[in-house]
Amino acid sequence: MGGSAVSRRLALISLMAIAMIVVPAVTSLPSGISGVKDTGCNCHGTEADPSVTASISGLPSSYNASETYNVTVSFTGGPAIDGNANLGGFNLWVSEGTLATLDSSTQLWGPNEASHTTEGNDQRSWTLEWTAPVSGKDVDFILHTNSVNGNEGDGGSSGDMWAKAQVEVTGFGGELPEADPFKVLATLIVVSSVLLSIVVLYVFYRNNPEGFEWERFAPWITEWLTSTDHKKIGTLYFVQGLFFLGVGGIMALMIRVQLATPGAEFISQGYYNQFFTLHGTTMIFLAAMPLIAGFANWIVPLQIGAPDLAFPRLNALSFWLQPVAALLIFTGVFSGGGADTGWTGYAPYVVTENTHAGVSMWAAGQIMLVASSTLTGINFLTTMAVMRAPGMGWFQMPLFTWSILVANLMLFLSIPAFGVGLIQVFLDRTIGTAFYDVAAGGDPLLWSHLFWYFGHPEVYVVIVPAFGVISEVIATSARRSIFGYKSMVYAMAGIGLVSFIVYGHHMFTSGMSPTLRFVTMLTTMLVAVPTGIKIFNWLKTMHGGSLVYRTHTLWTLGFLVTFTLGGISGMFFPSMALDVHLHETYFVVAHFHYVLVGGTVFGFFAAIYYWYPKMTGRMLDERLGVLHFLTAFISYNALFWPMHRLGVVGMIRRTHTYYITTDDFQALPEWAADWNMLISVSAFLFFASNLLLVVNMIKSLIRGEKAPADPWGGWSFEWMTSSPPPTPSFDPHNLPELKDANEHVANEPSRLGQMFRRLMVDDDASEGGSH
Amino acid sequence: MAGVTPLFDAIWNDYLMWSVFVGAISFGWLYHHSYFYRAKEGEVPNIDGLEVGVFPKEYDNLKLEVTWTLLPFILIVWLTYISWAPLDAVWSQTGPDGYHGSECQEGESSNNYFDSDGYVRSECYWEIDIVGQQWFWEFDCNGLSEDLCSTDYATVEGELKPLLTLKEGETYLAVMNSIDVTHAVKNPDFGIMEDVVPGQETYLWMPAVEETSFLMLCAEYCGDNHAYMTAQITVE
Repeated sequence: MGGSAVSRRLALISLMAIAMIVVPAVTSLPSGISGVKDTGCNCHGTEADPSVTASISGLPSSYNASETYNVTVSFTGGPAIDGNANLGGFNLWVSEGTLATLDSSTQLWGPNEASHTTEGNDQRSWTLEWTAPVSGKDVDFILHTNSVNGNEGDGGSSGDMWAKAQVEVTGFGGELPEADPFKVLATLIVVSSVLLSIVVLYVFYRNNPEGFEWERFAPWITEWLTSTDHKKIGTLYFVQGLFFLGVGGIMALMIRVQLATPGAEFISQGYYNQFFTLHGTTMIFLAAMPLIAGFANWIVPLQIGAPDLAFPRLNALSFWLQPVAALLIFTGVFSGGGADTGWTGYAPYVVTENTHAGVSMWAAGQIMLVASSTLTGINFLTTMAVMRAPGMGWFQMPLFTWSILVANLMLFLSIPAFGVGLIQVFLDRTIGTAFYDVAAGGDPLLWSHLFWYFGHPEVYVVIVPAFGVISEVIATSARRSIFGYKSMVYAMAGIGLVSFIVYGHHMFTSGMSPTLRFVTMLTTMLVAVPTGIKIFNWLKTMHGGSLVYRTHTLWTLGFLVTFTLGGISGMFFPSMALDVHLHETYFVVAHFHYVLVGGTVFGFFAAIYYWYPKMTGRMLDERLGVLHFLTAFISYNALFWPMHRLGVVGMIRRTHTYYITTDDFQALPEWAADWNMLISVSAFLFFASNLLLVVNMIKSLIRGEKAPADPWGGWSFEWMTSSPPPTPSFDPHNLPELKDANEHVANEPSRLGQMFRRLMVDDDASEGGSH
Repeated sequence: MAGVTPLFDAIWNDYLMWSVFVGAISFGWLYHHSYFYRAKEGEVPNIDGLEVGVFPKEYDNLKLEVTWTLLPFILIVWLTYISWAPLDAVWSQTGPDGYHGSECQEGESSNNYFDSDGYVRSECYWEIDIVGQQWFWEFDCNGLSEDLCSTDYATVEGELKPLLTLKEGETYLAVMNSIDVTHAVKNPDFGIMEDVVPGQETYLWMPAVEETSFLMLCAEYCGDNHAYMTAQITVE
């Protein structure tokens, strides 16, 4: 037994001797070590051995972002037997940044783990390159080294020792890219809401210091929450609209930071997709529509000489559906993922499981908005039909009222289609119906048809009231009657009519029937005619007038510039050979921001400066107003004008990043990155400049000059009441009566009316005939 | 410049010219009136005698209103007319009446070229397939020979993306479909896009007239990885 053991040992030693001669250095695990970060090199013993010392050198105590450092890992000590210096291998793991090899003695297991190679086996020191991360986080380096005696040849391990070294390199502290954008957004929203309530309460306090006691405060707040007065509800709409304009703006800023440089990682794709979806939904449904509804509530009853709307309680319901719907739309955000479908929510993506859970709530919230808009439509149409003051015929209604009539008619006739689509989506998502499930025979184009049948009139619903505002302001400022009152009304009605048959231009590349595409190309071109009439009429109104420059006049002229530009860029889309090139690019983004921001928002800024004194009884500061206009107008154009060019060279919408041309492929030209940076900077300036408006409004509420009943010299009924108007706005038993400067015209039947009258057989004649 | 085909360029220039024309009229008019008809400092005259509660006296001119109804109308009729022919080229039908003839037989070549109007004309075309799914493209050469059409992978900003290599001078008709949701093929250098819809075939002409290499993008939002749903198309 003993003899055989001795002979076996002899055989082993001689084998080892041969091995040492043949491959003299192959004694530690030659192909490299991996995965030992947490366990240690336990193949060489369970515990690290104190006689081996591992060390890392070449690291700074704190690093600079993206800088490259040469890192040397080495060890000393360990087992030694004759004829073999203690040599070995290593494993290095870093928590952040990326490692790279400098020579063939080291290899990578990944960007953050490295080891020796067969060639670099049995050295005592190795050098690698480490590129510091941009995150600014503290970085851990974990090094394991083996010191081997080489007693068992290739892979043998008895008597070998290992050591561990850990080094921490401090970062510069920032963890910005890791910040949760929703926390940022939520913080901003909460902070703005708190500031908003503080401001509202402060204004209330300043105007009525004694009212701040609870006994008086409670009825005050109850009054706001339960009011059916059109002026109070109008104010609520107005505050909601401005608040969400800010929220939507903050989301746009996040998008712009992400797009400021190509390949940025400021917000992840998941967040980016939610932000552009919620930006669109918020701006259209929770900002623009409430702002319009706010002014409509305030001004329409005043303009037609009605004490209130026809259904005041329905009106309150219309409003209170809004904040609840807003909450629902944003609920997804707090439940693990807001809607990420784009505001258009194209099927079948909107019903697939890949979407965020919040899409269901987003659809539910919008169903409530459909209800709200429908009720508003009923209310306003009824009010205008039956509650006009004595003497006011249809064709003596002020143009703002007309614009609200046309807008509500469009909305009332189109929004049911959207409601139906949303309910289908909601049912598909919740109880498993298959309206949009392609596998079950659903049709994805159905959604596009339903959505755009509503969607296109909807964007006109948003712009037409701005036309009304501009018509009022430009006539009053030029001290003239509006030119071509009737053609203005017909043009608005024409836009309303055409809006229902043009929607196919949103679907030029959707696989819709080419015949239908062609028809909608023709009808879309037609939109230019009524819009052109309106612009030329406004310009002609100024002719021979005497333009009084006030802030609202400036906004109106600004509107004429930006809206005309937006109208012209809109003419490129119906031409399909251009459209297939420009579809879904930033050219589209530029176009609709020119008409929606340069049109609707500028129009409503004019409305704020024009009617704010009427609503609050306080004048706004003209100097702040002019400053607001100048800064906003310049930054606005710097923000959206470059987007046209980016679109033409092929930058597409709704993407988390964009590609710059490289040696391998063509994409966007290099200057596209600079232009995007310019756009992002301008976006921040535009946002900041609009805070001037908020400052102006608050300042005016606290110490503004008292406003007279008719500060600008307008003619319609709202200037007859005091500023602010009493409640009810007009005495129901003593309604004002509209006089007419052209009595003879008003009482003459129109040409169409005369024609109908000739066609009718009058009662006397028919009676005579039967006898 | 990327993505400006001769066809696009031609209509674009026409449209731009008319835009400048309309813009010059509107803005010239606007700037002139807003300066020339401004009120004197501190004065608020009342030209048409506006009075609260009185509908103002009418200010209109039927001839002028008819003029600026008819002139824009004539302009849009003209714009529609010049957009008509390119439409046939962009969505050309197949067969002898179309711009790209019938499908090529083996040994034939498209021999495509830009005609004097900037339209691509070909003798015949090859059919290939493009399939979209979340979130990558799949090309299928339909058994065309290696030099006409081949597929491979290319590295785009560190990620492997599909690569489609086409032959210069050949015209391809892409027959497109989607497995899951709606995507859209956007080929900036061919100046064209078309949606890729599940359960429906859509078509797109891809005339490889000149040597190029560009990124094909997904232009219809399709979910999380939408921005990175790219592919490379090389014409050589």
